[in-house]
Amino acid sequence: MDVFGSFTLLLAFACAVYAFVGGIAAIITRHPLLVKSTRQAGIATCVLIFIGTFSLEYLLFSDNFSQAYVVSHSNRDLSAFYKIAALWAGQEGSLLFWSFLLAVYVISVLIAYRHKNGELMPYVGVILAGVQIFFLTLNNFVESPFKILTAVNAGGVLEPFVRQDGNGLTGLLQYPEMVIHPPNLYAGYTGFTIPFAFALAALLARYPGEKWIHLTRKWTMIAWCFQSIGILLGAHWAYAVLGWGGYWGWDPVENASLLPWLTGTAFLHSVMMQEKRGMMKVWNVWLVFCTFLLCILGTFLTRSGVVSSVHAFANSQIGPWFVSFMLLTLVVCFVAYVKNHDYLRSENQLDSLISRESSFLFNNLLFLVACIAVLSGTLFPVFTEWFTPSRISVGAPFFNKIMVPIGLAILFLTGVGPLLAWRKTSTDSLKRNFTWPVVVGALSAVLAYFLEYRNAISLVCLFLCGFVFWTIVMEFYRGAKVISARSGMSMMMAAHELSMRNTRRYGGYVVHFGMMLIFIGLAGAAFNTDVQKTMNIGESMKLGPYTLVLQSADTKPEKNYTAERMIVEVMKGNKQLMLLYPEKRAFAGRDQQSGTMVAIYSTLREDVYVVFAGMDPDTNLPVIHAFLNPLVKWIWLGGVWVVMGTLLALMPNRRAALVIAGATQPAASAVAPALNPSVTLRERHD
Amino acid sequence: MIKHRNLFALALVVALGVLPLVAQQQQADRVKAIGGKFLCMCGCGQILTQCNHVGCTMSAGMLKELGQWVNRGDSEATITQAFVQEFGTTVYAEPPKSGFSLIAWAMPVVYFVVGAVLVLFVISRWRKRPQAAGVDAAAPVTASGVRISQEAMERGRAQAARETED
Repeated sequence: MDVFGSFTLLLAFACAVYAFVGGIAAIITRHPLLVKSTRQAGIATCVLIFIGTFSLEYLLFSDNFSQAYVVSHSNRDLSAFYKIAALWAGQEGSLLFWSFLLAVYVISVLIAYRHKNGELMPYVGVILAGVQIFFLTLNNFVESPFKILTAVNAGGVLEPFVRQDGNGLTGLLQYPEMVIHPPNLYAGYTGFTIPFAFALAALLARYPGEKWIHLTRKWTMIAWCFQSIGILLGAHWAYAVLGWGGYWGWDPVENASLLPWLTGTAFLHSVMMQEKRGMMKVWNVWLVFCTFLLCILGTFLTRSGVVSSVHAFANSQIGPWFVSFMLLTLVVCFVAYVKNHDYLRSENQLDSLISRESSFLFNNLLFLVACIAVLSGTLFPVFTEWFTPSRISVGAPFFNKIMVPIGLAILFLTGVGPLLAWRKTSTDSLKRNFTWPVVVGALSAVLAYFLEYRNAISLVCLFLCGFVFWTIVMEFYRGAKVISARSGMSMMMAAHELSMRNTRRYGGYVVHFGMMLIFIGLAGAAFNTDVQKTMNIGESMKLGPYTLVLQSADTKPEKNYTAERMIVEVMKGNKQLMLLYPEKRAFAGRDQQSGTMVAIYSTLREDVYVVFAGMDPDTNLPVIHAFLNPLVKWIWLGGVWVVMGTLLALMPNRRAALVIAGATQPAASAVAPALNPSVTLRERHD
Repeated sequence: MIKHRNLFALALVVALGVLPLVAQQQQADRVKAIGGKFLCMCGCGQILTQCNHVGCTMSAGMLKELGQWVNRGDSEATITQAFVQEFGTTVYAEPPKSGFSLIAWAMPVVYFVVGAVLVLFVISRWRKRPQAAGVDAAAPVTASGVRISQEAMERGRAQAARETED
């Protein structure tokens, strides 16, 4: 199976090269057979990558310990669930997984558009094949996952060698979220290849800017959604497994995942400027180019070990390959832009500084500043090594100081944007639209103050959350009121109808609502407290309003690890709330491999987060480290809303005919005749 | 008189009992505050006071050292110097606001200022742009001042519409 897997990847490489070279020939000659054959070569490349990936999974599931990758990342006792995850646990497997996910996107595009966009698709096919060639080069010639295990025999000759068991999967990865977090993040990274390919293809084909935007809107949102889920799951994993009491440590790899998300988010906003006003065409093309390059950079940072990280499971010498690919991509993009940028000129003018357009410009500015600040902070240790004799670290305190004001400014614009009209907003309209959101924001801050959240930054954040919340409520209320008046629907039904008529716009508001919830959660971080104590059985410690009593300790043997558990009772006053089981796990397979499992009592108000920090070397008693983390649950709830909002935005709009049908109902008949249905429908669709 | 003396004695006993506890708490807070400014040197990249991963070979020793220096009454600058001497500049959790490291702090501000100036420049340029009065006035202009004809743009647009479907 290893030879078969190797062979399929090699064949995939050959097919990708043909799709690339043949595709260029097809663009030049426009020969229909050549176009068709290169498209089929593209599909064959993807199918072969799938087979190669399944071959590696087969080797993992069949415990084939003649394979170096299987030995390094699996063992006999590893559950099937984690054998799937072993695919991306190491360098070689994760690069193959990148190719696999990219192939899923590529084959979807090639099949979905096989009868459409006949002139553009050869360009798209060539670009996608180019990206696939890069990753297949790594899979085949640099970091092959199908290397057999060898050992030097008595005669000093290398010969195949079969181990009885493997080293097992690293303990940090043996957690359910690790089976879904990396695929989501990678699906985000790889997904941005599609808008990139269409943007570059449209530029090369000299299409005026708007066309590729329409074609790739959904692909961009899908990639963004996966990226968001991946980031949030990663944060939750860090919170629940690493045991340091936080969810975001500004680790280089966390930062790497945030970078394309920031530019991708900027793009999702600025694209509206192009659709509505024909503006920012150059900017949007470069945002997509940068997002793709940042995805490659993210993979490079994760996999090369150029900056040290808790995620640096696999360090190797693939750095020069990634740097070369990024430089080559940048050159291609730049040349394409220089040659054809005339077709990307803005065709509209800005009427006023106080307008929706300006708010999008400032929104993009903030996202870009955030992105560059995180990028330069992440790479600063590398720069210091180049320019000074020593390396200077940049940790979480730096990023918190830099990013908090930027984050608050973005939150402010999240509220302001929907209140501003396209083209120009009058002073009266400003007063009318801003009054209630500001009042609700102020009330939120006052409420937070009385609930003891007394920190200036947190209060500003909660004020802005109230402000944003009310702008979203107002948007739904105004739209639903019109529909309700015309159709006689209840307000709830009308709000639902409204959302379904313009899914993108109202899905966007749901995403904003989710982000607001996440910011509420982030505001709580200023009030985190913790206590650490060496405890005997029966002893207790105070943590805010809670009392933690160490009830007992036990050992729980499992198939692939043995857990040493502390049983901690959480009490508030005299009321027992919950038993928590923080544990330490000693994993089979790897020597000395161990990990923590945090126990959390979570409410909307706060999390009681308990870690079994080990045994005190002096007393040989357990050390319990407990954290009281306010409002953390809001972050995970916000994440759910973000995903729901994106899914809503991905749904097709309900047909306008339904509205006209609704308007025939008696309750609406008094209002409807005076209105021209088509005008009424269009006026809110921005 | 006896009553006052008793009260005084009681206050003294309480103070003698409480003061060490207060001092201990203050020292613990100081260890936490100063420790938050350094990284654990085991390679995990976490803040010293937050690093608790299993098998860490560094954080316990570093915290012990820090505790000793704090108990001795060393200033933050002295402690920082001692840590930097022992582990190098990689021990900083955030770059110092001096020398080359100042660039790290200055750059985000520079990005924002330059970006804001650019945005304002773009806005002012877009506001000055004349309304599309005719075909030629609306025609996009290249950076070198060459005008692409509206006809060419429309031809491109028609080609795109013909060759693509949403």
